[in-house]
Amino acid sequence: MGLELGISDEQGAQVIRVVGEVDLNSSPELRTAILEAAKRGGTLAVELREVPYMDSSGVATLVEGLKAMEPKGGAFVLLAPSSAVAKVLQLSRLDSVFDIRETL
Amino acid sequence: METDFTLTFRSDPALLCAVRRLVRQYVEDRRVSAEKANEVVLAVDEACTNAIRHAYGNAHDRVLTLSVIADADWIEIRVEDDGMTAPAWAVARKDAATPDLETLSPGGLGVQLIYEAFDDVSFLAAEPQGNCVVMRLRRRAMVEG
Repeated sequence: MGLELGISDEQGAQVIRVVGEVDLNSSPELRTAILEAAKRGGTLAVELREVPYMDSSGVATLVEGLKAMEPKGGAFVLLAPSSAVAKVLQLSRLDSVFDIRETL
Repeated sequence: METDFTLTFRSDPALLCAVRRLVRQYVEDRRVSAEKANEVVLAVDEACTNAIRHAYGNAHDRVLTLSVIADADWIEIRVEDDGMTAPAWAVARKDAATPDLETLSPGGLGVQLIYEAFDDVSFLAAEPQGNCVVMRLRRRAMVEG
């Protein structure tokens, strides 16, 4: 199952909408999109509503995004994570390090 | 215990999706709860991912073996490779705490997810090289209804 990424500007934030499973095969594509968007600074939100599966490579990609935004003083937001994403963040004990919101 | 099936597949990340579906179907058919099934599928995927990334250095032309062995009390899933043997520190269980973001690696995270999902986990080193991750799930505790 391939990954679909949509990038838009909403309420002054960049939003990357992710659709599909994020695993070792697809996480490099997400990583490229996140790191490219992070260069612009500001608020970067990754919408994970339609991500039915995410593994540790996906989690590490999100951590990389968070770290890329820090020096720019920008906000890195996880938007509406699916139950599968919320669960892997919880199992990884990383749910508390992210700014997780249902809406922007 | 009897072997229910053995699957050999190429170390290509594009095949992991199909492997996950097979494992999910197997555990769901054995009435493992939906929540535990999700954890098991994730853990098996992590074992395969670690083999591809670390044992095989992301080479896509090596072979992984997935075996499922079961009896009335246990489901045992093994993921084997013949790549570089993982050092003991890389597969050790870490204490519960928020991981340090500076040193976080997907491989290290994957190992912890494997320990979280299963009741009994062993990382065995093969001779002359290679790894076998043995993941055992106690059936009675995990069945629905």
